[in-house]
Amino acid sequence: MIAPKHITVTIDGQKCVGDEGQTVLQIATANRIYIPTLCYLKHLSSWGGCRMCIVEIAGSPKVVPSCATPAVNGTTYSANNDRLRQLRRLTLELLFSERNHVCPFCPTNHGDCELQQQGYRHGMDSVRYPYLYPALPMDMSGKYFALDHNRCILCTRCVRVCDEIEGVHTLDVAFRGEKNRVIIDLNATFGASDTCTSCGACVAACPTGALFDKAAAFRGKLNTCQAVRTTCTECPVGCGLLVFTKENRIVEVFGDDKSDVSRGHLCARGRYETWAVPRERIAQPMIRTIHALKPVSWQQALREITRVRGKLDATQTALLVSPRITNEAAKAVARIAARFGKVGMFVARDETALSGADGGALEGNNSLASADAIIVLGAQPSRTHGVLAAKIRNAVRRRRAKLLIFHAHKSDLDQHADICANIVSLEHVFWDRVTEALKDVKRPALVYGAAAMTPIGVTVMSRLIQILESNPSRHAPVLVPLPTGTNSLAVAAAGVEPIEDVAPWLDTQPLQYLHIVASDEPDGGARLLEEKSVRALLEQIDCVVVQTSYQSELTEAARIVLPAATWSEKSGTVTNIEGRELALHAVLPPRGEAREDAKILEALTS
Amino acid sequence: MSDKPKIRVATAWLGGCSGCHMSFLDLDERLIELSKLVEFTASPITDVKEIPEVDVGIIEGAVCTDENEHVLRTMRAQCKVLISLGDCAMTGNIPALRNQFKLEDVVARGFIETESTQIGEMPNDPVVPRLLVRVRPIHEVVKVDAYIPGCPPDADTIWYALTELLAGRVPNWDERTFSYD
Repeated sequence: MIAPKHITVTIDGQKCVGDEGQTVLQIATANRIYIPTLCYLKHLSSWGGCRMCIVEIAGSPKVVPSCATPAVNGTTYSANNDRLRQLRRLTLELLFSERNHVCPFCPTNHGDCELQQQGYRHGMDSVRYPYLYPALPMDMSGKYFALDHNRCILCTRCVRVCDEIEGVHTLDVAFRGEKNRVIIDLNATFGASDTCTSCGACVAACPTGALFDKAAAFRGKLNTCQAVRTTCTECPVGCGLLVFTKENRIVEVFGDDKSDVSRGHLCARGRYETWAVPRERIAQPMIRTIHALKPVSWQQALREITRVRGKLDATQTALLVSPRITNEAAKAVARIAARFGKVGMFVARDETALSGADGGALEGNNSLASADAIIVLGAQPSRTHGVLAAKIRNAVRRRRAKLLIFHAHKSDLDQHADICANIVSLEHVFWDRVTEALKDVKRPALVYGAAAMTPIGVTVMSRLIQILESNPSRHAPVLVPLPTGTNSLAVAAAGVEPIEDVAPWLDTQPLQYLHIVASDEPDGGARLLEEKSVRALLEQIDCVVVQTSYQSELTEAARIVLPAATWSEKSGTVTNIEGRELALHAVLPPRGEAREDAKILEALTS
Repeated sequence: MSDKPKIRVATAWLGGCSGCHMSFLDLDERLIELSKLVEFTASPITDVKEIPEVDVGIIEGAVCTDENEHVLRTMRAQCKVLISLGDCAMTGNIPALRNQFKLEDVVARGFIETESTQIGEMPNDPVVPRLLVRVRPIHEVVKVDAYIPGCPPDADTIWYALTELLAGRVPNWDERTFSYD
């Protein structure tokens, strides 16, 4: 790579050095010269629409938007003077007069609104243009967020983030002049949108209260909240979270732009499902009496477990854990494994083999991010690993990477694919097309999910690898396994056997004691009961202990229930699909009597 | 000090919630200090109805009715300096939300369609002020000399603005001294 040429410019009398091709705004920001912005957002393309970042060029009577003006070596710019401040204030007055920006009842009032901040900064104590008071609608139909056209300034940050980061281009602008406004699909609503993934990136990008999270609105101003960075544990991609809390509750969750994995982006699961969906928490230990589960103290619960186990031989006991547990909990499981007849981790269908795989990099050199062809085999990342799907869409739409999808189920990624085929019906002619499509590919990446582990999936995968390796000038493919269990790779590596079929596993020897660590599985671990005859087998076991965060059918089947901490209450580490160890930081104290999985497991055997 | 004539002040509230005047009363003991410098004439606080000739007029609220407009124009004619107090006077704020709808629809919603109304009737007594088709901030009707934004402005913000104005200076607003709510 050729190093960019340095250039020197003068901004507000200060000598600034930057790289050729950088904009005036970028060089000013790097040199700590503040230029106000509204439509500009780092990581997005420059649009130059709001005219807040205007600067003067010495010798030219015009002002130019600094976010869209490349700096020219030796030029003198003026970024802050009375004329510019006056012009910026007029721009603000136009923005305020155009729509109904009624601050007192706005969800982003008091410090979270960039438009309001700019109004204060420019001393805007009145608007000299007549207010238009247009009648504008709101779209409250979205599951997690709403769009209020009254507060929109048409900066198009939402449109660009939807197109450039999430890669679905649900949002755009339509109509002309004062009727110009942001639309969803072809003038649909969020609720009726075919393309919106509910990732909420538009809300995070919105500088005003035009797009807001329903669950966070009027629940606390973010600048009065505590902000903690942690890792999302909804899937094994391991995106960074920035969690805002106030008075021991979560106010809002955003992507952490310091995360190397996700760079501030999240999917609907990480951004909303973890906190904006109400669930019944288990907050204290319980023991079943004849009628119902009765709250008890930790001491009583542990004493009861010791009493039951004291009468049993180790072979009559088993420990079954969720793939969501942390690395620390996995180590605790490994330490106490000898005290149980058998220990297993319940994983989704066909994911046993995936759990033993080595991860491939998502970002950086020789990773998915630099691949010129991405093959998705037997996985539906847009459903299960949203941020990875966004990365794939971007690779195709922005870098023109090839996309080949071999699936068992259709998904919305299919529309971006060069070749898309069902893995169960492949013919010989077809492979010639695949070979042809991959002819000039230098850096392939292969993303494979559970269906790649079926007999037909394995055949397809070996054929693909054969094609990829047939060209010696090609890099070895980056292999990215996509298990659905958050930490299944690391838990398996700690020596816990992945179990797909729980019923035969339970049935091989008569059990009297089964300890299930469901951790903070969103369904409370109830999916175990979906497997045929598991419910009947659990009924035959004398003592079923369920360690979980949420009430479910599984806790109904338990004799003893132990309250487990959720993702927001845990510290420790998880390992993502790249093999990266990512830190979890507790953002809240545990609810009620809840404890971290690792601590409960240690208390069990001490 | 006592030789110096006091500055005569009148205040009025138009279409608003009177919150700005309440915030003004929140000046608390500073009101005593203020009363040494100014003399209050007509005001909702003093209950003097007719606005005399004054140095400073302070207006809260948006222009919603013909009566509002009359009071505003009288104040403008009687005062030397007119101060717009609060967001309703400055932007129209909450009262101006009705500008998005037709006036007949708004009145019908209020007097006839309200859930608790049994037999509704449109107000038509000549004594009742007539609603204007559009609610307007006061500076769209008369010339305004200074603004104190806020919904309502803090007592501290009002104090800062008044002391600056009394000292003959224009308040220098920035993110520390004012807010829109």
